[in-house]
Amino acid sequence: MGRVARRATSGVLVAVSMGVAALAGCGGDSADGPVTLRFVWWGNEERAKVTRAAVDEFQRRNPDVKVETEYSGYDPYFQKLSTQVAGGASPDLLQLDRPTLGEYARRNVLADLDQYAGKSLRLDRISPNLLAGGKVDGKQYAVAAGQTTQALVLDPALFQAAGVNAPTEPGQSWTWTEFADAMNKIGAAGAVAGTTDFGWAIDWFEVWLRQHGKQLYTADGKLGFDAADLERYWTMVGKLRPTKGVTAPEVTTKQDGGLQNSGLITKQAASDVGYDSALTGYFATYGQSLKTAPLPSDNAAEPGMAALPPVSFAVGQRSKHKDAAVKLLDFLLNDPEAGKILGAARGVPPNEDIRAQVCGAATGGNKLVCDHQAAQKDKMGPAFGAWPTGSSAIKRDFQRTYDDVIFDRVSVGDAARRVVQDAQQSLGS
Amino acid sequence: MAYLFLSPWILGATLLTIGPMVASLYLSFTDYDLFSAPTWVGFDNYATLFTGDERFWHAAGVTARYVLISVPLKLGVALAVAMLLNRPRKGVGLYRSAFYAPSLLGASVSVALVWRAMFSTDGTVDRVLAAVGLDVGGWVDRPELALLTLVALAVWQFGAPMVIFLAGLKQVPRELHEAAAIDGAGPVRRFAGVTLPLLTPVILFNLVLETIHAFQAFTGAFVVSSGRGGPSDSTLLYTLYLYQRGFTDFRMGYASAMAWVLLVVVAVLTALVFRSARRWVFYAGEDR
Repeated sequence: MGRVARRATSGVLVAVSMGVAALAGCGGDSADGPVTLRFVWWGNEERAKVTRAAVDEFQRRNPDVKVETEYSGYDPYFQKLSTQVAGGASPDLLQLDRPTLGEYARRNVLADLDQYAGKSLRLDRISPNLLAGGKVDGKQYAVAAGQTTQALVLDPALFQAAGVNAPTEPGQSWTWTEFADAMNKIGAAGAVAGTTDFGWAIDWFEVWLRQHGKQLYTADGKLGFDAADLERYWTMVGKLRPTKGVTAPEVTTKQDGGLQNSGLITKQAASDVGYDSALTGYFATYGQSLKTAPLPSDNAAEPGMAALPPVSFAVGQRSKHKDAAVKLLDFLLNDPEAGKILGAARGVPPNEDIRAQVCGAATGGNKLVCDHQAAQKDKMGPAFGAWPTGSSAIKRDFQRTYDDVIFDRVSVGDAARRVVQDAQQSLGS
Repeated sequence: MAYLFLSPWILGATLLTIGPMVASLYLSFTDYDLFSAPTWVGFDNYATLFTGDERFWHAAGVTARYVLISVPLKLGVALAVAMLLNRPRKGVGLYRSAFYAPSLLGASVSVALVWRAMFSTDGTVDRVLAAVGLDVGGWVDRPELALLTLVALAVWQFGAPMVIFLAGLKQVPRELHEAAAIDGAGPVRRFAGVTLPLLTPVILFNLVLETIHAFQAFTGAFVVSSGRGGPSDSTLLYTLYLYQRGFTDFRMGYASAMAWVLLVVVAVLTALVFRSARRWVFYAGEDR
């Protein structure tokens, strides 16, 4: 009895002391002394490497600020972020993209950066086009981490082996028919598919819509396309599947925008459609021979590509150290040393002075990004504008439904109608 | 005094189990996005679930398939291995531990990751099958096979029911077997006529436990499909859909409603199993 009682008492003591410790831990909002920031992003390893190096430089210059970093792939990143934010443990500095920026901003998760702009946060060397991409309801909730555009990244050796040329030189372009012929030829050559099936990502459908005078979302946040558009698009992509112009469903279903499942990286395709912000990762993983081409367009006046900020940085509204977080953000955007370290890991630097400096001296993967943007300069239109609330659900539904299409579980027409129906529901809610 | 000793349990139960359950019951009648205050919507969530959500029914179907395939298979394998390990043999203790080990690793993420690697294209399973001329590719990348990898993962963890079966087998009186053998019954007959009837209480116990377990399966499906339930929603278990609704779509009220529907369904099914037990479970010492 005595032993049991003693054990219970000590258990209670442990519990109480742990509770006290936890309470003490919550109180730490002192202005003095070292602060600890948490900075999270998604992306490939190359991006992680340079971002950590930039953070180290920041810590070296600011010994009173400690920065903890976390990164992962796209899907796990948002799974983790939503849980953390819901649990009140939001990171101080975080990375968002077009579908998620509006949703997190409207849920009061992000700090309004306007109060810092022009003071501790310098935005004057970032183009209005990029800054607009970080605005939600007129307020600056995020700042572009880089300028990015769409690209077809390809292995020229595999193209040559199939006797195919891609428009990799500045000013060159191709039509959808030329593109399809090239992909089919590579597929017929037998080694790999022409390109990773790109029908899964709504991002590339957006480019196609632009070429046809439509858009994904209208300025007032409505759906800008109908089921017939999507049916046409998916039918066009679908024609490439039996001829190995695009990858088989088993490869396509794994796509998540990350490198490790990409058809090009896993040597199942000769090219990938993507954002050029991933190119430094491709370069580090695949090798130096990579080249880029523009996305195909039948409409010379409207190539559908744009200078986008698909990756932006934002500060957590519940962060206890917003000043320090803004300081880190400003450092990442505007410091020449940081710019040099970061290179083009999120597209070319948003700050135009630093961009000129980085691209002037660029080598390797950074040069690939700079060269691509220089080559596509006259094809890149202004940013498409932010995506409305509900668009991340639409992005997921789009990919899920495309799975049903490639595995022949539903007709293209029915699938397109389902996407439109689900999308209207997501936008309405 | 008694309550003082009970207090750790009472505290744990109220704060960690009953409290959250009551909260989720309330939330299931609200529209709650995790960030702003919940607003009362009555039975809207439940109405949408049953009438306006195709994926809900799809997920329920996937889960039903998963439970119906994995539970009988797991119990069958557990019983078969228990019978093998029930024979007196050298080193049987080692074998018992070895077969039980996977259950300890059970719901861990690392095992699920290994599973995904094994069953992916060019993974172990693909290569072994290709070597014998069966070129099916990666199981986890094909909608018609992906769920089977989850079933295999569940069946592989047959250790817990196996140990319980083993204990049950030890209780079967040897003299009944001897008497049956003298009457001329072969091994099959003795199994069907002696072992199985005396084992029915243990079978009932394992059946109930494993069914509840199977309905709650989540980790395997989440890891193997990277949280998506793909390919083509073929591994979208009910719990995974619930998670997606709650934490990816930020519809926690809806997810709470789903959780309560699951609770009711599992409770009803368990009650049905118990009710049917009167017909097939035999307790020794009972009059027949």
